[in-house]
Amino acid sequence: MDIHFEKVEVRFEGRTVIHPLDLTIGGRRVGIIGLNGSGKTTLARMINGLVKPSSGRVTVNGFDTVERQDEARGQSGFIFQNPQNQIILPLLREDIALGLKSRKLTKQEVTAAVDAILDRFGIKHLGDRRAHELSGGELQLAALASVLVTEPKILVMDEPTNQLDLKNRNLVEKTIRTLPEDVIVISHDLDLVAGLDRVLLVHEGRIAADGGPGEVIGLYRAMQGAKA
Amino acid sequence: MRSLHIDGNSVLHRLPAAAKLAALAVISLVLFMIDNAGFLAGAALAGLAGHVLLRISATEIWRRMRPFVLIVVVVALFTAVFNGTGEGLTAFFRLAALALFASLVTATTTTGDFIGVITRAAMPLERLGLLKARDVGLSIGLVIRFVPEILSRYEVIRDAHYARGLKPRPVSLIVPLIITTLKSADEIAAAIDARGIRSQK
Repeated sequence: MDIHFEKVEVRFEGRTVIHPLDLTIGGRRVGIIGLNGSGKTTLARMINGLVKPSSGRVTVNGFDTVERQDEARGQSGFIFQNPQNQIILPLLREDIALGLKSRKLTKQEVTAAVDAILDRFGIKHLGDRRAHELSGGELQLAALASVLVTEPKILVMDEPTNQLDLKNRNLVEKTIRTLPEDVIVISHDLDLVAGLDRVLLVHEGRIAADGGPGEVIGLYRAMQGAKA
Repeated sequence: MRSLHIDGNSVLHRLPAAAKLAALAVISLVLFMIDNAGFLAGAALAGLAGHVLLRISATEIWRRMRPFVLIVVVVALFTAVFNGTGEGLTAFFRLAALALFASLVTATTTTGDFIGVITRAAMPLERLGLLKARDVGLSIGLVIRFVPEILSRYEVIRDAHYARGLKPRPVSLIVPLIITTLKSADEIAAAIDARGIRSQK
């Protein structure tokens, strides 16, 4: 992945959420950690153009997230904190197909793509189930399938193990580790982030640390320990 | 999220969504053109029989009809007070039949099929440059998706009142219901944008 934040600043209602920032995100697996309200979700949402910078620009694989929003969105998929809100149509199979509607595909091609993505995550048996019938882990896999069916190159996941029991958390972690797509994970789950290549620590709208997981997580623990 | 659709392989399930919606439109017109309370009661019974044939349980029928009960009863009562009992009964059976037939269509049609039909129906307006057909289809689909979801939220908020020993009151139910629904709508809108379902161009 090749993501650039150039002199990016985000302000909401007179408050600066992200202070002027120059940042390049490359590599395969990047984690973003930080306290609630630190600005990590805002930072991640800018990658998909869900949040527009008040000043500066964000490019994803060369596409400006404001000026070429559709192309930039085509590069990255976004998994929301609550997968219930990610699944738009009740039946999983229908919901996954919805993401393909804007492409000029035949009905057979759509069915084949949906089958393939369900198969990839081992949830073909859930295709005709309703979202509210799925467990937390199944729902997270369903959200992954609904986003990855459009074949984005980068996947941004906001708190993917939030509210999951240990079994489902481990299932989601294992899935993330085996994804061939480049991944950005925002999480409070430090064990999950520890398995990534690079970690950013966001603190009060600034990048407080950027490095290997051991170093950054250690610093994060030390910062919070010092405050406690 | 809950769904109004019920799995099955009945004749109604297999009928194209467009045919079911067209039939529902025709039935609605007929129901409003006929003033015979006996005929309308028969139509309501036919709608109920349709649910039984689809093996929809009494509990589920009640769950589906509950949102309409207040409207049907209030309209029928007002009509009875101002126009007489016969007219009131006519209004009651007409609206009940309409709700039951509409429920049969939603029970046997997936939201995706609804969106497909509405999108196709709106295509001529898109060609005239008046709107985006996919947006219209998606909007209607989201309304259908939200109806049972809002009911679920209402039940959660009501139960939260009971759990705290409070008596549910309209204001204390409606305000959190609106806030949670709007927050959820924001997230769903963001998910629609993030998934590129609604192109910005």
